[in-house]
Amino acid sequence: MTHPSELISAFLDGELHGSELAQLIDHLSGCGKCSADMEQMQRVRSAIRSLPVLELPRGIVPEADTEVVPLRRNKGLWAGVAAAVVIAVIAVAALVTPPPGAVSLDDLNSRFGARASLDPAFSPAKVVIPAGVADE
Amino acid sequence: MESIPLTWEEVARVYGRKIYNFAYRLTGNPDDAHDLVQEVLLRVRRGLASYQPGSFEGWLWRITRNAFLDDVRRRQRRPTSPIPDEVDRWNLASSDSADVEYARVSIGDDIQKALLELPMEFREAVVLCDIVGLSYEEIAQAVAVPIGTVRSRIHRGRKMLKDRLA
Repeated sequence: MTHPSELISAFLDGELHGSELAQLIDHLSGCGKCSADMEQMQRVRSAIRSLPVLELPRGIVPEADTEVVPLRRNKGLWAGVAAAVVIAVIAVAALVTPPPGAVSLDDLNSRFGARASLDPAFSPAKVVIPAGVADE
Repeated sequence: MESIPLTWEEVARVYGRKIYNFAYRLTGNPDDAHDLVQEVLLRVRRGLASYQPGSFEGWLWRITRNAFLDDVRRRQRRPTSPIPDEVDRWNLASSDSADVEYARVSIGDDIQKALLELPMEFREAVVLCDIVGLSYEEIAQAVAVPIGTVRSRIHRGRKMLKDRLA
């Protein structure tokens, strides 16, 4: 009788399928030797797997904090940039937006023509001049 | 779909302990295991940039195994090497020689001692299966042998352990 002993470990590991699985099960039902072998292999397998899991000595892998720090830094940097952008937008908007009733687009066009909207060199600071309407 | 760690720090945290246990059970020596983990993490750091999607476990354990082999070879070249000069036989996979011992026995545990007495290819297969918990397919990828060879090595390795522990 040929004993399919190499199939026993694969069976214990859940790595046996199809015809080989059927073959082993069929064989085990009539072979006391292989049934005993399987029991012994199961004991050995359990013994190896019962070895304690060793903890990693400290200092080998980076601590969790080393990853958190750069994330915080990145967050701070972007928050700062975003805040600066928001402030700049608000400042520009404040400069280019005339106070209610202060000046209309027609006023601007009449004073500066197309420059206000088409000349990229035209600084919004110049738009402040019409804000002098506030003197009114 | 397999999720792939994005940074080597994540690899270190997720797999560091497994790599350490793999190395310790293979060598029986905490200092060697410590050195191997650091070497593996270094290689992972270098290799992640060129990592191609696939079996991450297979990739990682191939790196781990190669790092271990290189370490054994380095020790082999040292005059004070504690490991016998048999490493090439491991790679050539022709080892029925049960008396080959690559690492020193450092603890009294019967199972660990018996494990260290196994020829390396059997020890490696058993450790990857029973300690690390890889599937036969993952072991085959890591060791670069057919699944049938993995199956045979695991079975024969356990059988040798059974004889030694009897």
